[in-house]
Amino acid sequence: MSGAVADGYTGRRSTYASLRLAFLLFMADPQWLIPSMIAPVIFGLVSFELFRGYGHYYLTYAILGAGMMSMWGQTLYGSGWATGQDREFGTLEPTIQAPTPYLYVVLGRVLWNVVSGLLGGLIVYLVVVAAAGSPPALPDPLAFVVLFLFVMLTLAAVGVVFAAFYVYTRYAGFIQNVGEFAFYVGTGCMFPVVLLPFWTNPIALVFPPTWALDALRYASIPGYVGFSWGFWPDIAGAIGTTAAYLLLAGSVFHRVERHVLEEGNLDHY
Amino acid sequence: MALASQDGPAIETRGLTRVFQSRKGFLFRERTRTEALKGVDLTVERGAIFGLLGPNGAGKTTFTKILSTLLLPTDGTALVLGHDVTKETEWLRPRMGLVLGGERGLYNRISGRDNLRYFADLYGVPLAERERRIREVLERVDLLDAADRRVEEYSRGMKQKLHLARGILHRPEILFLDEPTIGLDPKSARETRKLIRSLVSDGVTIFLTTHYMFEAEELCPKLAILSKGRIVARDTVDNLRALIGGDRTIEVEDYGFEDRELAVLRGLPGVSKIVTEEFGPMLRLTLRIRTGETTVDGVRRSLPGHPELAVRERRTSLEDVYLDLVDEEVR
Repeated sequence: MSGAVADGYTGRRSTYASLRLAFLLFMADPQWLIPSMIAPVIFGLVSFELFRGYGHYYLTYAILGAGMMSMWGQTLYGSGWATGQDREFGTLEPTIQAPTPYLYVVLGRVLWNVVSGLLGGLIVYLVVVAAAGSPPALPDPLAFVVLFLFVMLTLAAVGVVFAAFYVYTRYAGFIQNVGEFAFYVGTGCMFPVVLLPFWTNPIALVFPPTWALDALRYASIPGYVGFSWGFWPDIAGAIGTTAAYLLLAGSVFHRVERHVLEEGNLDHY
Repeated sequence: MALASQDGPAIETRGLTRVFQSRKGFLFRERTRTEALKGVDLTVERGAIFGLLGPNGAGKTTFTKILSTLLLPTDGTALVLGHDVTKETEWLRPRMGLVLGGERGLYNRISGRDNLRYFADLYGVPLAERERRIREVLERVDLLDAADRRVEEYSRGMKQKLHLARGILHRPEILFLDEPTIGLDPKSARETRKLIRSLVSDGVTIFLTTHYMFEAEELCPKLAILSKGRIVARDTVDNLRALIGGDRTIEVEDYGFEDRELAVLRGLPGVSKIVTEEFGPMLRLTLRIRTGETTVDGVRRSLPGHPELAVRERRTSLEDVYLDLVDEEVR
């Protein structure tokens, strides 16, 4: 039996395995129905009432506000939280001990969260359209969809870095709970960042979703007043910060793994 | 990366030390320092079961986690299959299996088969073989019928079997088992031991930690005893018996013995050691007999003032060895 070393993991296979596991765990646990199916309905209705009557493009504001509200939790929060669950289940040790770098496991989960986040976004869209009785006036529906997906990916990039914190310390959930509202408002998920005090803007620009959301609003709402530099610099900023986050994640995961092996706290929860 | 030596030991540690530091409190932080391993030197040959015995808190799990690349040592070196556990994890991890056991460590809401599929992918089990390999290990641990049930419906014994199945799924060269039968009922424990023996016949080196003496005696040709972070003995069970003073033990029980009588017993031929132990109003003297000269009758004759004296002879057990050595270390 011995001596037959496996033919080696591949990043793609491990990522898919992790995505599949996330899907199976999602299907096995009814509590996920609340954030993924029920919350988007509530967010959509609240947002519709909140923005109703605010100009010609209020439906777009409503969809973006509620859509981001349901998606950011799924994509960003879910990515980190899944690692916290690994600590709780005691599965972090065997997963780290496997030959696959843990980063691939996180990527699989993030991809699943992107898919389920999109589902939430779609539910919000349908709820708002049903409440209004008509679809939103979008100048370029295709650009809207592409940019919507792009925002998800920028959220996912932040989610990967957050997951590293969950590996690093069992207190990551507490830190994330404290910071989640500030992050949600500060990155412009609900309303444009330019409406916030100026001093918050430089902090907000550290996060990729801030740039991507501003670009999405520029593309979807004619006359939108966001950051003064406009659409394309927003796109460039989003790509740049997302790349920086992914590079950071690659480096951070290696260091974090080393750190937890030094500390010996992988089984703490 | 160094080439693996097929002839070298499976495990070799030199001066292995691990210190845990923790902090308590928020404003006034109190630091605590625990030295879990204190310069452990140990060599384990390939292709057999090696047992590591020790009381709770002796450092067994810490030692196992260092060897299985889940923890870094504070000092010293550890080679597994000739490779450094701190620097060559990429080479080592596909070749080692780890079974930490217990109720945790599994995804309870999905089936046993899905748990194995996930880890098969992370371990790079060839995709074309994956399902066959999963079926094979499930059969081996007798879980095939329950393979598609959620793990949360499994008994503790079934979960332990699933842990074992995961540990051998990728056909490791060395398997670390940390207390694999703890909490199992006698039948499940026996089946687990049978499985462990069968793995050795397949050529797997097994490093087993336990504090069940009969298990170690039954499974391990060689073993070491770890106490307070130090190896206090390492040998075969027979040699360990000799180490503590002989392979025969005579136990003498009564309500008390005088110092004069103890001196008489110490003077009997072949008596290498006497351990005294109180239990309730009684006193038990345990005599280790190095040679065959002293018998139960001889002991009885040496204590004429004890009409109610209970004397019996038995083979020195591994438990005797363990208690003697660990007790000495504690003192």
